[in-house]
Amino acid sequence: MSLPSFQLLRPKTLDEAVALMAKHDGEAKIVAGGTDLLPSMKQKLFTPAYVLDLRGVGELRGIRNMPGNGVEIGALTTLTAIEHSAIIRKDYPVLYEAVKTVASPVLRNMGTLGGNVCLDTRCLWYNQSLLWRKSCGFCLKKDGNLCHVAPGGNFCWATFSGDTPPALLCLGAEVEIAGPEGLRRTPLSEFYVNDGIVRLHLAPNEIVTRVHLPEAAAGWRGSYQKLRVRGSIDYPLAGVAVALKMKSGRVEDARVAITALNPAPFLVKDADAQLIGMVPSEEIAERIGELAARTAKPLTTSALTPEYRREMVRVFAKRAVMQAAAN
Amino acid sequence: MPEETSKAVSRRRFIMGVIAGGAAVSAAGYLFRASTHHGNAPLIGAGERLITLNVNGRQRRVDVARQETLAWTLRYNLGLTGAKLGCDRGECGACTVLIDDVPHYSCSVLTHTVRSRKVTTIEGLAAADGTLHPVQQAMVDQHGSQCGFCTPGFMMTIKWLLANNPDPSEDEIRDALSSNLCRCTGYSQMYQAIRAAIDAEQKGTKQELVEAK
Repeated sequence: MSLPSFQLLRPKTLDEAVALMAKHDGEAKIVAGGTDLLPSMKQKLFTPAYVLDLRGVGELRGIRNMPGNGVEIGALTTLTAIEHSAIIRKDYPVLYEAVKTVASPVLRNMGTLGGNVCLDTRCLWYNQSLLWRKSCGFCLKKDGNLCHVAPGGNFCWATFSGDTPPALLCLGAEVEIAGPEGLRRTPLSEFYVNDGIVRLHLAPNEIVTRVHLPEAAAGWRGSYQKLRVRGSIDYPLAGVAVALKMKSGRVEDARVAITALNPAPFLVKDADAQLIGMVPSEEIAERIGELAARTAKPLTTSALTPEYRREMVRVFAKRAVMQAAAN
Repeated sequence: MPEETSKAVSRRRFIMGVIAGGAAVSAAGYLFRASTHHGNAPLIGAGERLITLNVNGRQRRVDVARQETLAWTLRYNLGLTGAKLGCDRGECGACTVLIDDVPHYSCSVLTHTVRSRKVTTIEGLAAADGTLHPVQQAMVDQHGSQCGFCTPGFMMTIKWLLANNPDPSEDEIRDALSSNLCRCTGYSQMYQAIRAAIDAEQKGTKQELVEAK
């Protein structure tokens, strides 16, 4: 399959990148690792007039430890670099656990954190070749006006399939975004839109530049559990991240988040209330599993049935709580 | 007997003719695809399309459209057909090459973005005199490939693994191999080949397993 034609923009600084995105407002797509955008462009899901290769902007690469003020990860930092970072592994283990499950080792050499955070939503009816989609009359998300997953509805159920965002949500991460008006920062929990088409609170001319992990979440124990068909390369079909702040055997603070089950990754509401002050046990872990399963709204957007994915998120949430407590 | 020989020869000639004809047809297919592929390109100056790539230690001048992937350029512009196009969407690893010594799926890399970087393909793995890389040799000895389509990709991933970790654990080897798909179920033989190459290196019976970076 060949890529549709486009002009390639290769800025060297962030200012230059922001100016180019403003100049080609809405007509440019950003590429970093290329592992999400390029296959989609081959399937003609995107046919932008301009592709902006962000990798020349060196200032957006790397992990910066700011003692007393958390850790800042540049959007261009590869997932391999995060996986091998001693500080991430030691202070933010839930992110380490999630990163090392993304795709395959080679894809992690290519893929970036910014790309994983901004990953396009996925669906059986969407991630297909132009010929395939055309033969089915297209779909709501691209080129069509009906949803094959929930016929009659006007809502796109394409599933957010990033592995790192649930871990980042558990850590209370913030994203830094550059646009024509300068830099802005937003909590990751307010960055996503639960709509397979809208996806993100991100204007077409804006660029995600950094992810900030707060000092307050340093040292939280964590676990990430992922359901997929094969043990490598695959996107998650359900994912649960659990982060626990422990003090002498009891949970002092906690967050639980799920991914690959809804059009956006979500923090599981009231999970903290169930966990805080408790010594983690099978019984409490079971309750967290129930809450996570209730937050999940899987539909037939992937190769596994929604029933199975909902059941597995319950099992995986339980396992994640027990493992985070044991780690 | 002489009759039989001449029959055999003519049959061989016939088969060779068929193969040559088939090759011509498939080459035409590539040319045709390449021309439509290039035909989509916006009008840009020849200077912008003509770029220099560092491939296997050689500087190669090549005409590359903006939307060309590295896998495409290597195979159809540079004649380096070792990297295979399997899925062509970043899921199988058959197109794996090293960029600055790190493996990438070349089907998901734009050629224009690897200017001034070092590209190594399977064709650049053996020594100049044709001596195979120790792991290549071990793969041959241990029957590490069956149909062979995925093998070049695997070799690049394995080369990277051993360059960074000369004595990997079983889990580390299996984890590295998980980047590539083999549909002939050759993973165990590949694992044994890597193990054999490492053991040979440690016993000092083979020279330089891992080249100095």
